[in-house]
Amino acid sequence: MSEYDYDDLGLVAGLEIHQQLDTETKLFCACPTRLRDPEEASRTFTRYLHPTKSELGELDQAAVEESRVDREFEYLAYDTTCLVEEDDEPPGRVDEEAIETTLEIAQLMEMEPVDQAHVMRKIVVDGSNTTGFQRTMLAATDGVIETEEGNVGIEDLMLEEESAQRVEETDSGVRYSLDRLGIPLVEIGTRPDISSPEQARDAAEQIGMLLRSTGKVKRGLGTIRQDVNVSIAEGARVEIKGVQSLDDIDDIVRNEVGRQVELLDIAAELADRDAAVGDVRDVSEVFAETDSGVIGGALSGDGRAMAVPLFGFDGLVGREILPDRRLGTEFADHAKRHGAGGIFHTDELPAYGVTEAEVEDLRDAVGAGPEDAVALVADDPETAELAIEAVADRAEQALDGVPEETRGANEDGTTRYLRPLPGAARMYPETDVPSVDLDPSEVDPPELLTEKISRYQEEFGLDAALAEQVAYGHRMPLFEQAVEMGVDPTLAADTLESTMTELRRDDVPVENVTDEHFEELFALLVEDELAKEGIPELLTALAENPELSASEAAEQQDLGSAGEDEVREAVVDVVERNEEQIEAEGMGAFSALMGECMGALRGKADGDVVSDVLREEIQKRA
Amino acid sequence: MNEGDRVHVERGGQEFEGVLLPSSTPEQLVVKLESGYNVGIDREDATVDVLESDVYDIESAQDEDGQSSIEFEEGLPTISLISTGGTIASTVDYRTGAVTAQFDAEDVLRAVPDLAGRANYRGRVVANILSENMTPEVWQDLAHAIYEEIEAGADGVVVMHGTDTMQFSASAVAFMLDTPVPIVFTGSQRSADRPSSDNVMNAVCAVEAAKSDCAEVLVCMHASQSDDRCALHRGTRARKNHTSRRDAFETVGRRPLGTVEYATGDGDTDVSFRREYQRRGEADLDIAADLETDVELVKFTPGTGPAMLDAVADSEGIIIEGTGLGHVNTDWIGHIEELIDAGTDVVMTSQCLDGRVCDRVYDTGRDLLDAGVIEGEDMLPGTAKVKLMWALANTESTAETMRTPIAGEITDRSVSEAE
Repeated sequence: MSEYDYDDLGLVAGLEIHQQLDTETKLFCACPTRLRDPEEASRTFTRYLHPTKSELGELDQAAVEESRVDREFEYLAYDTTCLVEEDDEPPGRVDEEAIETTLEIAQLMEMEPVDQAHVMRKIVVDGSNTTGFQRTMLAATDGVIETEEGNVGIEDLMLEEESAQRVEETDSGVRYSLDRLGIPLVEIGTRPDISSPEQARDAAEQIGMLLRSTGKVKRGLGTIRQDVNVSIAEGARVEIKGVQSLDDIDDIVRNEVGRQVELLDIAAELADRDAAVGDVRDVSEVFAETDSGVIGGALSGDGRAMAVPLFGFDGLVGREILPDRRLGTEFADHAKRHGAGGIFHTDELPAYGVTEAEVEDLRDAVGAGPEDAVALVADDPETAELAIEAVADRAEQALDGVPEETRGANEDGTTRYLRPLPGAARMYPETDVPSVDLDPSEVDPPELLTEKISRYQEEFGLDAALAEQVAYGHRMPLFEQAVEMGVDPTLAADTLESTMTELRRDDVPVENVTDEHFEELFALLVEDELAKEGIPELLTALAENPELSASEAAEQQDLGSAGEDEVREAVVDVVERNEEQIEAEGMGAFSALMGECMGALRGKADGDVVSDVLREEIQKRA
Repeated sequence: MNEGDRVHVERGGQEFEGVLLPSSTPEQLVVKLESGYNVGIDREDATVDVLESDVYDIESAQDEDGQSSIEFEEGLPTISLISTGGTIASTVDYRTGAVTAQFDAEDVLRAVPDLAGRANYRGRVVANILSENMTPEVWQDLAHAIYEEIEAGADGVVVMHGTDTMQFSASAVAFMLDTPVPIVFTGSQRSADRPSSDNVMNAVCAVEAAKSDCAEVLVCMHASQSDDRCALHRGTRARKNHTSRRDAFETVGRRPLGTVEYATGDGDTDVSFRREYQRRGEADLDIAADLETDVELVKFTPGTGPAMLDAVADSEGIIIEGTGLGHVNTDWIGHIEELIDAGTDVVMTSQCLDGRVCDRVYDTGRDLLDAGVIEGEDMLPGTAKVKLMWALANTESTAETMRTPIAGEITDRSVSEAE
């Protein structure tokens, strides 16, 4: 794809960053914020959702479109979820830890909290919320972050509940898992101050660093999601949902600019050609005898083929607007939203078993000439009609250029149509939760990760690389906790970073080691019940048997820190076995015997202690 | 500056623009922003400019424009929808922030389009109150309204009612009316203003039950947490046994009388029954709506002295919710005897809820019987209270009436029912 002059095009981009908070309990109930395996579900139940009006009496367009598909939602419940997630109990008050963290984040971005945060219901009827809405509150506004290409304004900060995790499509709808529903989530919206793909990525990285500085955000895949809003001067605002990786942000922006440029180009071409969208017609007759498996299959029974003539569109429906995505793909996205499997259009026909003669008949049937295109949907009568109308509507929009819409990010950096942009009508107050007075004075500003790196070096004597590794690593809070407990900072950092990395390289399943394991391990170190030499072995044991506590694993592995008596006993044993060597070499035998002593004690004893005792015992005999 | 105005608010450098909404406290301005979010701003610190007056008419925003599109269809039964208020017919009151009832029966039809095509509807509003505010007087109005609807040709009646005291109203109607058609109470546990409300399925299932052959007073609510079927409970045996769950209602001691399988779209919604019931047309329509409302329900628990009874000493009737088989502290017995001698009817029920009162097993029980206490059989205490009100006003022998099943409130035989 060619590189554009973004200034020239008037690129305006904004980010919406969604970050899960690592609180003890969920936003509106006392359930833990723990993710579960769908197989661990203890119960399931099914529901339907129906769109409702806002307090101003309006229906949200996006919600209406979503609800056209009558779907049954199945929910997986766990022993870690409760009736609140199941929408069978009113929500509790807003979690205080989440509010505190939100205020910290507001402070880091120099934002002004609102006086009272009002919990709103944002209508979402795709089943991802059992209630049919997401609870969300505007907590702060008017902040700023710095990027290399200049400041980016932060428009707003929302505290909201995470949605349920989609597990899979079912025959009658969608299956969702309730474990994720209700985890506190902050949404940070930037102002549209971003003017290049690189700045978009830079801003996202900066926001990510600030969020992690609180030490209270979740880490790992899916815990942070980026939405990107993009428009160019002649184009339209498009919201792109669910960009999973920071690395994709600049590509997404670049591609969306390209898509809007192409769509504008197509619109200009259509204007030149005096193009128009004709009336939808039933063309089932044309395909009565068709050899096309797809169309024939759809027409068996009472299926219908519906077509719309696109006057002046010939060649443009097949025009590529994103890598491997054509204008026709956009039409197909809209048809799919209304239940159809896809569409056919004359720019790609004859093909798929559709003959040249059938294409000619199709053109005749809808009054289309050689400069025109025809789009076609074959399905059950209701779906075919809804889908072809949706295609016709989208084709109308092509005449004007770029439609405002919500799109979903694909893994390859392209995007697909999801739904219309939601409006204010999708919001109405959550009356079950009283508003929250926000008092920023109760919150201490957290230390930035960048500040932590310097402090770890100055205060704890970590080297720069290790300090950065710890500060940016997701076990940073554990590190601070360990130091607080009295563990040597370098040992704590090594344990959490280098040791874990080494073990991972040795294929030890270190992902099984929990925060609790580490807390127990550090406690054992502080109480001298574990020698630092025993750490790798203990972590390995815990990784392989995560159901054990650290002390249980230490006991099983016989890693209890040996007392001085035990050390001396072992050392004396070694020394007596090697009396000849000591007599011959004196202290020269130290290194060789030290290794043997440590081996005999199998990581149970601190090396310094062993070396002291060994030195004494050699001196006695030398 | 009025509610509904588009305003610009400045407060300490922060600026907001949006529609001014009603606020629950005078110290706070509530502004609905373009984004749809509401924010609260301390009024004292705020500078407000009105940009445009009356952008929204907050009061009438809830009102629908246009008329109901419901048309009469030949061949469909006529179902009368009677609204008394409650969650099923409720929406958010933006002044108090609470959920209140604002819909009439017509609104329910619009709110639940799935009802269309299942019947021809007559709408009627008897009250517009939350069910905790329900009174015996409203029960009487309700019974008269139902009577009139059936007399006017309704093939079934659906009563939309708050869930908190639905079982009391259903019991009252069951005692007051002889009915040749189904009378089905329904409500919702989740307000109608949320996409997940149980009102749609409950209303649809209630209408289907009202079209069925079971001419009894029923309560129709979710059978489980899923939107898959509703249970049909006999009004006099139903109890709200959970504060918030959709399937809060249970038939005490037995499985529900019937089930309505829910199907969306064109699927068949099937009504079935597990036990004998009174068939459509078996009874002639009749009403006996008089009530002696001077009846109290008293619960005995350890540590409660007989002085508790002084407060209700002048009542015409008292239901005691005793322990176990129907007991109270021995200290109560003398007081109870005095009340009975003074002309108060005293009926014993059990806080076990499930099972039959039997005051012939232990001395305490025998002493209570000697004192003149009436055994309430296996009646639910709440149902017994309503029945005593009715019995005192409509029958000769209160004691005999209280021990005789009138509307399915007493079962002849106590049986264990396998799931």
